[in-house]
Order: sequence, then C-alpha cells, then structure tokens
Amino acid sequence: MATPTGNAQTVVYVGDSRVARPTKVHVPRDYMAYPGKSETFIPNFLLKEWMVGSVVLVGFLVLVVMHPAPLGYPADPTNSAFIPMPDWYFLFLYQLLKYPYLSEQFVVLGTVLIPGLAFTALTLIPFLDRTPERRFTKRPVPTMMMLLSLAAIVYLTWVSWDHYQHELKAKNIIPEHIAREQEMHAKKQAGGGTGGDQPEPAPVKVAAIVDADDAAYKEVYMKATCVQCHGAQLKGNGPIPGLLGIGDKYNAEQIMDIIRNGIGGMGAQYDANISMGLTDQNLEDLAAWLAKQKATP
Amino acid sequence: MLKAVYEWIDGRLDITPMWRDVADHEVPEHVNPAHHFSAFVYCFGGLTFFITVIQILSGMFLTMYYVPDIANAYASVDYLQHKVAFGVIVRGMHHWGASLVIVLMFLHTLRVFFTGSYKNPREMNWVIGMLTFGVMLGLGFTGYLLPWDNKAYFATKVGIEIAASVPFIGETIQNFLQGGDIVGAETIARFFALHVFFLPGVLLALLAAHFILIRKQGISGPL
Amino acid sequence: MAREHEEQPMHPHAPRRQMTRRQFLSYTLGAAGAFMAGGVIIPMIRFAIDPLLKPKAVVPFVKVAELSQISSQPVSYSFQTLQIDGWIEKNVEQTAWIAKSSAGELFALSPVCKHLGCTIDWNSNPQHPNEFFCPCHAARYTPEGKNLAIAPAPLDEYEVKIENGFVYLGGIRPNTIAT
Repeated sequence: MATPTGNAQTVVYVGDSRVARPTKVHVPRDYMAYPGKSETFIPNFLLKEWMVGSVVLVGFLVLVVMHPAPLGYPADPTNSAFIPMPDWYFLFLYQLLKYPYLSEQFVVLGTVLIPGLAFTALTLIPFLDRTPERRFTKRPVPTMMMLLSLAAIVYLTWVSWDHYQHELKAKNIIPEHIAREQEMHAKKQAGGGTGGDQPEPAPVKVAAIVDADDAAYKEVYMKATCVQCHGAQLKGNGPIPGLLGIGDKYNAEQIMDIIRNGIGGMGAQYDANISMGLTDQNLEDLAAWLAKQKATP
Repeated sequence: MLKAVYEWIDGRLDITPMWRDVADHEVPEHVNPAHHFSAFVYCFGGLTFFITVIQILSGMFLTMYYVPDIANAYASVDYLQHKVAFGVIVRGMHHWGASLVIVLMFLHTLRVFFTGSYKNPREMNWVIGMLTFGVMLGLGFTGYLLPWDNKAYFATKVGIEIAASVPFIGETIQNFLQGGDIVGAETIARFFALHVFFLPGVLLALLAAHFILIRKQGISGPL
Repeated sequence: MAREHEEQPMHPHAPRRQMTRRQFLSYTLGAAGAFMAGGVIIPMIRFAIDPLLKPKAVVPFVKVAELSQISSQPVSYSFQTLQIDGWIEKNVEQTAWIAKSSAGELFALSPVCKHLGCTIDWNSNPQHPNEFFCPCHAARYTPEGKNLAIAPAPLDEYEVKIENGFVYLGGIRPNTIAT
C-alpha cells in the first residue's frame, strides 16, 4: 500500500515483495470459441451441478437410512461354514479364478495376467488409440473392446452373485449380517422393547469382603492353602475364580464339602491344610466365614 | 469488515486472480444439463468428488470411535453403530459411499472413454484418472478388513492370497500386506495406516493434479 | 463483480432496486451448498458429540464395610465397581476413607486430592497428625475432608446408604459434611 500507483504498463510490486499490485480486472480465458451459450462457472453453472448433487444426496441419504451398513460376527479363522465374498466390485475378478484355464497351475493368468493386461491397456489407451477421431462410432476397435469387457464384467459379476445365492440356499445359510440383525431384534423385543441407545443401569457384579476382621479370615484363610490360588483379597487369579460373593452360591456345609473333595479343577484341600497345622475347627470356622461372603445383603 | 479483511490480504498476496479464474471461467453449452439433458453424463466426475468428500468426512468422524486392533475393532464398530446416536447413519454413509464412489467413477471413466476425451492433449489426465481408480480400489480393499467381522477377515485373506500368486514377488507382497505370517493384529494395523493416511494422501495429490489439468486444458469440446 | 455493470436492471428508472439475476443465482447457489453441507455434516456432528448428550449413568451402590467397624478414626476401605467405558466393561478398584463425624454421622471420602488429583493418605505426615495429607503438594484436610491448605475445595464424598448393618457406597458428589 505504500508505493504509489505507477504506469499501468509496468508491474508495481507491493512493498519489497514479489506480489504484483492488482492493476486490472482479471479476464479469464473462456470458451467463446465453442458454439452455443456458455455460462460462467460461479454462480450459473455450479448451481446446476449442485442441483444434481442435492438430488443425488437425498437419494443417497434415503439409501443410508433404509439399509444399515452390514456387520457380521467377529472374525473367527476357524469358521468353516462361512462363504467368503469380496466387495461386489471385485466379484468379477473373483469369478474369473474359478475357470479351469485360470486356476491351478494357470492361476497366474487369472490373478495377474488378465486383470493386469486389461488395466494397463485401459490406462495406456491414449497412447494406443492415437487417431484424432473422438466419436466412438468412428473408432470401432477400442469401442468393441470396451463393450466386450463391459459385457464380460457384468456377466461374471452376475454369475458370481447368482452362485453365491444358490450356495446360501443349498447350505441353508443366512448371511451373518442378517442373522445378527435378527438376533439383536429378538433380544430387544425380549428386553421390553427399549430403544438401542438408552444406557442400561450398570449391573452389580462385585462384592467386598464381608467381616474382614474375623479371625477366620485374618488367621485361618491367610494360612490355609486357599490363599495361594484365590488370593489374599479373595479376587481369584485368571481362570481361578474369586471367592467374593461365594456365599450366594454355597452354604457352609457345601463349602466344607468342596474343601474336603475339591470341585472342578480344584483338588481336595483338607489333608494339605491339616498337615499345615490347621484344625478341623479352624476349617469349619473358615467355611462358615466364607458362607457369609454374600454380594447381596 | 469482511471486505476490509479481504482487501488487506489481497493487497499482500494478490489472491483475486486465483479464485476469479475458477469462478468466472465460461462453461460451454454441451456440458450444461440445463441446455441438453444428455449433458448429465458430464456430472459423474463432479458427483464422484462430492461422494469422495463425504467419504473423507465420514471416515474422519468414524475414527473418533474406531480402534484398529483385533481385540477392540469389532467391539468398537458394534458400539459406534448400535450405541452411538447417528452411528448407523455415519457408518452407513461410509459403507454405501464406498460403493457409490466406485459406481460413479466407473460411469465417469466410461463417459470419458466414449466421448474420446482422453485424446491429445488430455492423455496425462486420463492416466492420472486411472491411477485414482486404482487408489480407490485400494481404499475399498483396505477398508473392508477394518470392522474385523468374518466377511472382512475372509475377504482379506482371499485378496492377499491373490496378491501372493504374483510370480517372484508374490510372497514379498503378501508379507508386506500381512505384516507377519498371518492375517492378524499386524495386518489390521497396517491396513488402517494405508486406509487413513497413505492412500488418502496419494488420492488427494492425484485429485489436485486432475483438477489443475482440467482447469489448464479445459473440458473437451462438443462432438 | 467484474460484470456488475452489465447486470444492472433493464430499466434504470425503476422505482426500487431489483435483485439482479446474478444475485438471485448466488443466493440459490448458497442455499444449495448449505443444504448439501448440512445434510452431510449434521449427522456427523451429532455422532461426534453423542458422549456430551448421553445421560449420566446411575452409579449402583456397592457393599463396602460393616457398620459396626466404623469409628471416628478414618479407615481406608477398598471396593470394586463395574466401570462401563464405551464398549469395555471392567471392574475397577476404588478406595474410600470411612469414618463417623463428631455428630455421629457416617461419611465416606474420596481419596482424590482436590488440588491436582493425587491420592491423599491419613495421618502420613508426622508434622500434621490426624489430618489427611497429600504427598504431591502438601495439601491438608480435616478428618471431615475440609481443606486446610493448598487445596481449593474440600474432599469429595461418596453417597452413603446403610442397610442391614452394612455400609454401601454409591456415586461421588461434592462434600456435604465439612463446614
């Protein structure tokens, strides 16, 4: 802004920078060479494009609202009942690999050679089709090749999809994303029909140690073999279950029975504890104390 | 106020010619759907870009919840789709948009092919367009794995097996894509990286080149 | 702007300024653009801010201690609550300092220092006996959790419920005991 406006012919820079002071109204290159009515891009032409865009957007949103994106069950590499299918636009390539001359020892033809050649040829078509003629009716070779490829793609995609549908019917398989959706729907109805995004109240699953000052805990439990696996805080350890809330499941007699005879992966503990100097009475107290470990009052 | 700010910036950077060139250039009649109904075929390129913008936006928002990890990926997708408000819409946009981009890009490619618009002087832009097509297919392939459900897992396994059948370098490609010996934790991490950083970066560069060339060379004339 | 002079109304003597064709097209273009942008962005914004709009989960009461054990001396009790963190549900260990106030009212204090979130301890500094003390910046509190130094607010407390001789703790709320 500091430099005075000079002759319109010379370029005047702003300050000491290389940015030229705007001197004249910008006149863009246009399509006056073409016959007919041309329009400025903004706002005239872009408005027409965006009208089309708005219609497409409405259609797109209707599709999105009507059909939720599919989601099956978590990936399980050992699942053998699942029929793998690629995204629909890869189906024709997938189908190609099922034909005898494109599989087994010739698989390279199907996986690399044919798709590779087709894609490369299409990419390089400006250098293969060098005539100045633009009308597709006047250049029959590229047009015919393109039409044949299109027919092949449509046919292969259709065969692949048709085969998949037949297989589903023959094996009586419901596609996972549909099965899962149905299962979720059934669960929701069983659960009283509440909406999906309501937060459910957190269930109480945990308990604290009851009567933590009892001698059965402080002296007997800490000394007994129990503590080695079930932990000083009765929380268990990995696959070994905790003992918090055990009183909800068993009474004192049942616990005593477990100490004597074991349960599941746990062996009998009675002899080991007696040999460590605990008495029968100690173990009875311990069982009675464990039976008091209830999560709910 | 806005005008003063604009003039302050314009006086220093001379930005007017840049956008006036885009805004004021004349668009010929033969591509204008208001004049010829058949000119709708010229909309496919712009619509592809519109859906691409939707893909980028919805993808950015999805990463606010998604976790690329075999233990959490499925649970996070399940959570964002079923527990987060509008999750089903945003994921639906990304899922269906991916298909729509392929459809529209395919139609755009056919339009350019059948109008012979790839001919001199527009050969380079055709090649750039085909590379964009390849990147889009790559985005589709890498994105397919991310929900980590059975379909994702097995489709990726098949895709990687196909890549492995390439002579000489097949096994190298397979190891690169898997990041290990199996399709697993390392695979999903690198597919995520490819899907949200590398391929979109390449895509944006190619699109910028595509648009600059169109502006430079103009739309091909009427037949 | 370059062509504004061409787009003047056809009749220069018209009584009021009319909207030019260009202006009309520009407004329509803006509306179409706003429609497309809004249709795409609004669902995404709602998706992103969902955590702000979710109602706070009700914290269930958890059995923590026996009523008969509680004295005026604060004692630390640890207990587990189920934490729902998005798609991850896990049990987390929490601690509470439980005591009876001079009025005989039972209260349970959170061990999180109100200064910068370190964990306080009871009676751990010999210079300040019978006070909660924070090792990070020497914040101190009375047994009721009233802030004595450094900290800007009293210690938070748990909601307390007493049933069948047991103390149950619920959610955390600002201190109501300390005066």
